[in-house]
Amino acid sequence: MAEWSQLPRELIDLISKHLLTEIDFLRFRSVCSSWRSSVPPKPYLSSPSRFPILPNDGISITENSWGFRLSKSPLYLLHSPNQTTSSNKNNHGWIVKLDRENLLNPLSRSQFKPLPLNFPKILDSSNYPILELCQEYTLQFIKYRPMANSIADAGNLYMEKVAVRLEKDGFVLLTIHVSGKLVMYRSGDIKWEIVDELSLPYDDVIMKDGNFYAVDNTGKGVLVKLSCGETPELEVVANSVFGGDKKFLMESCGDLLMVDKYLSIGPEDDLGYNENVEFYEEFDSYMSERTVKFKVYKLDGDMQRWVEVTKLEDRMLFVGDNCTFSVLVSELDSRCKGNCILFADQNFCSTEDSGGLWKNHGIGVFSLENGSIGPVSSFRGYAELFWPPPPWICSPQPIDAELNELKI
Amino acid sequence: MSSTKLLTLKTSDGEEFKLDEAVAVKSQAIKNMVEDDCVSNAIPLPNVDSKTMTKVIEYWKKHSEEGVSKDQLNDFDKGFLEVHHSVLYDLLLAANYLNDKELVDVICQEVADRIKGKTPEEIRKEFDIKNDFTPEEEEKIRQENAWAFD
Repeated sequence: MAEWSQLPRELIDLISKHLLTEIDFLRFRSVCSSWRSSVPPKPYLSSPSRFPILPNDGISITENSWGFRLSKSPLYLLHSPNQTTSSNKNNHGWIVKLDRENLLNPLSRSQFKPLPLNFPKILDSSNYPILELCQEYTLQFIKYRPMANSIADAGNLYMEKVAVRLEKDGFVLLTIHVSGKLVMYRSGDIKWEIVDELSLPYDDVIMKDGNFYAVDNTGKGVLVKLSCGETPELEVVANSVFGGDKKFLMESCGDLLMVDKYLSIGPEDDLGYNENVEFYEEFDSYMSERTVKFKVYKLDGDMQRWVEVTKLEDRMLFVGDNCTFSVLVSELDSRCKGNCILFADQNFCSTEDSGGLWKNHGIGVFSLENGSIGPVSSFRGYAELFWPPPPWICSPQPIDAELNELKI
Repeated sequence: MSSTKLLTLKTSDGEEFKLDEAVAVKSQAIKNMVEDDCVSNAIPLPNVDSKTMTKVIEYWKKHSEEGVSKDQLNDFDKGFLEVHHSVLYDLLLAANYLNDKELVDVICQEVADRIKGKTPEEIRKEFDIKNDFTPEEEEKIRQENAWAFD
């Protein structure tokens, strides 16, 4: 008789080491008493995060800044707890980003509000099958405010991507300075360290399989080796491709991908999406840039180059302001087709329609199949992945079952 | 052709398995016994039954074969691990007892794959595990899993 709860402690521990996401680890510890006691909780798992304030030294932006606060927002794909109703067309997955007690747009930092009236105040996440898509790390400037009650209300967002590697007693962080240089910070350090003095500006950083990678605006990919106590080293893993205007790195099905965004600056086309400037007030200067297409590349480490990927098959790539992730269409359980890229784009913010709902949420879709590009609402089945919350969230099953029992 | 030494392994239910020494030493435990030179007769394995030993030997033989590609091995492993969780359980304990780190790791990965993305209740159903938390533990777990919204 298989008694999984009676497994030797070291085997329980070994199994837990094969769980790569924080939520799977949390659930592992919620299964039974012996599993829970055999595996101690990992640090930095709580959300909201409690990362220390990082010093300003070496990376000062303005004279008044006091430092940075690092925060962490997890992105999840939720599914209905009731798998038997799979014929129901509303059974598609829901992509969410949590930030303290708010739901954020998965691809930007804007907030989804107001929440529907019947949205639960407290949600028991253990009722829902959840896939952790990624962890979004962001830095916020902390200005010195002696009257502020909490640090949380102080910051301005630092607008470059942050990659973090959690270590046993702390973390290592890699980001891009506004000047375009790569900078790193190790917890406990007094100041930031510039990784590459002589480089072209960098576009993106990512942490994959415990390694840091970065890409500059020519598409040159580098592995950033940050060994303890030694100076950081850069190793070229792929040569430049030039091409588009902004490069993004992403992990998908074990591969390292580079997504190259092509912009065009010029008169708006006749879609008329130039309303709502106040939606993204920091982005005033970008209003005339439009995304026109993307190219996707996969890393060929042996040949030190990026190889163009023209078919993503059933993969969907998501390019957000501060995070990137990929999902298989089969994981979404929706009407969507794969072979496309969903991206944050402030040109796709429309005013509320007559139903009082935001239609596009600043999200666009690019299809690799035919090169078509447009706001998320013009592609079937995509907008509902983000908002509004699916019906099974607002009427959680356990309460229904209880009500049934009471025969209400 | 060099002489291949045959080892005899005797499982808990009395069955005997004859195996090339070169294959059997995938088990660090057996390897140690061979090196310590205490294998004159059959090696007793009181913690492994014949059904499980058959499976383990099947794995060892496939992974010792020559001319097998990485893809073919992956396909074999996938099929090999497509078993009821009770078989997996016996395999895991046997691999641990025999000290075959590679096999232990492969099985742990399969167990983890059956856990990923599931709710705690679904994991319990998958492995027939009983929820044995005290009410205090339950409450703590509920708090850990709670998402509060403004």
